[in-house]
Amino acid sequence: MTLTARPEQRRDEHVPGDNDMWVMVLGDMIIFAGYFIVFMIYRSMHAREFLAAQEHLDVNIGVVNTVILLTSSWFVVRAVTAARAGRSAQAIRLVYGGGLGGVLFMALKGYEWVAKIRAGHGNSEMFYSFYYVVTGVHLIHVLIGLIVLGTVVRELRNPGRRRATVVESGAIYWHMVDLLWVIIFALFYVMR
Amino acid sequence: MDTTGSASGQRAATWAWLTLVVITIGSWWLSPAHSGGTALPSAPITAVVLLLAIIKSRLIIRYFMEVRDAPRWLRHSTDAWLAVLFAAIFVIYLI
Amino acid sequence: MSRVDDAAGAAGGEGARQSGRRMLRRTPDGVKPDVWLMTLFFPAWYAVFGVIICLLTRVTPPPRPDVTAADKVAFFTQHHLTIQIGFTLLLILLGGAAMTNGLVGYQMKRMSVGSVFAYGYIGGMSVGALPGFLLVTVCFLTAAFRPDRDPALISLLYDLGMLSYNGSLGCFTAAYLVLAVAILYDKNNVFPKWFSYVSIWQIITEVIATQMFVFASGPFSWNGSIAFWLAVVVFSVWLGALIVLLRGAARQEPVTAPALA
Repeated sequence: MTLTARPEQRRDEHVPGDNDMWVMVLGDMIIFAGYFIVFMIYRSMHAREFLAAQEHLDVNIGVVNTVILLTSSWFVVRAVTAARAGRSAQAIRLVYGGGLGGVLFMALKGYEWVAKIRAGHGNSEMFYSFYYVVTGVHLIHVLIGLIVLGTVVRELRNPGRRRATVVESGAIYWHMVDLLWVIIFALFYVMR
Repeated sequence: MDTTGSASGQRAATWAWLTLVVITIGSWWLSPAHSGGTALPSAPITAVVLLLAIIKSRLIIRYFMEVRDAPRWLRHSTDAWLAVLFAAIFVIYLI
Repeated sequence: MSRVDDAAGAAGGEGARQSGRRMLRRTPDGVKPDVWLMTLFFPAWYAVFGVIICLLTRVTPPPRPDVTAADKVAFFTQHHLTIQIGFTLLLILLGGAAMTNGLVGYQMKRMSVGSVFAYGYIGGMSVGALPGFLLVTVCFLTAAFRPDRDPALISLLYDLGMLSYNGSLGCFTAAYLVLAVAILYDKNNVFPKWFSYVSIWQIITEVIATQMFVFASGPFSWNGSIAFWLAVVVFSVWLGALIVLLRGAARQEPVTAPALA
């Protein structure tokens, strides 16, 4: 059974997911934009100090984590496609795959934090205070994302539901988590 | 019934993913942690990094979030967010 | 209310019913008058609260954490009178906070998820009031009580008050969480789903506020751009949305609906 039909919309464009989720996603994007801009302001006030601190970040883990999250997002895209075509079992497997990526990301991030703290890069360095807060808030979003993916799986398991809006909304939230990380990666790990 | 470009949308998303991964691995070379020795600030490198970040972000928004097929208000507001955020970042960086 | 009217009417108290209707005329048709009264009271109380914390006692926006004991004594000297007026007023008006939480709890009881969430919200917010503003009230009033006290002690009262006021997170976090979950599972749509997400933003700001206990300056201190100012923006959005949504929820309940258990 394919997803329950959406209300009629113009054929060539539709809002994926529901409007409530877009309030969440757009609002969250604006809030994070606030964090990024404040970070940049403090960065330009302490440019040398920040750059020196950046060198101690493990860019290998950064790259791996980014690829993991991008791939998990790709799994979720494929899950939505499968769900739309009525292949619910495959969709569920793909969502699990995406979720697994999230779990791996969290594990690697945790390892990274412990390594940094052990090496002495704690809150006392301003770059790292930003790093822990921003990646920490992002990590909470990943955790919430795992719960969201869980509700998507629950939705797909029930033949009586499988609503398009729920699956799409969950996917959009997960992509937002990915999107925010891509920017965090650029600002903290790569730019100089 | 929602079949908004299912198969072609899927294919486009896969190409987007490949592009994203390639860019990500490529930026490994640009990172200050990679440079060994002391990293020096560099406006050209940062410009490239930010440009790549914009490209990656827009790919995710358009192809993963499917904003490509969304109504104008959604396409415009996400583009506006990208423009304002990255303009602010780059301007603050240069100051 | 309607039962009283019926009884009065049945007893031939047509005049009584007419005057009753006249009193309620300003209440929108079909809305429970007591609920509507509380719905109007909610923003009124917060307006008074805003005047107290912003204009009288000056705790919002907060005075700086990175100042000397002498500066802190100067703060209390400068605002001595308005701190005493403002916070004693707040002590009297405290019950209003409980009533505003009760109104939200009332609307939550109308949700399909059951009363547990409503009680969780009321519990969380009520307990949160203690570190949330009672502690700063008592600390600041104590500091103002004997201005010639040892500056180190006044400095302590300043820090204690501000840290607890701005950093009093966990209780409110619990309240926001049960509110968010209740809204998501509520089939009666008392509040729209997007308000659940706004409440989750509130939780995130509370998590970030933990950093206030670590930094005396910078973006994560109790007057910092991220830990305070961004959080204030999010809180204003949340509160503003809640005030508007409470009106909608009050209108949504027919006046003939039976009283909640």
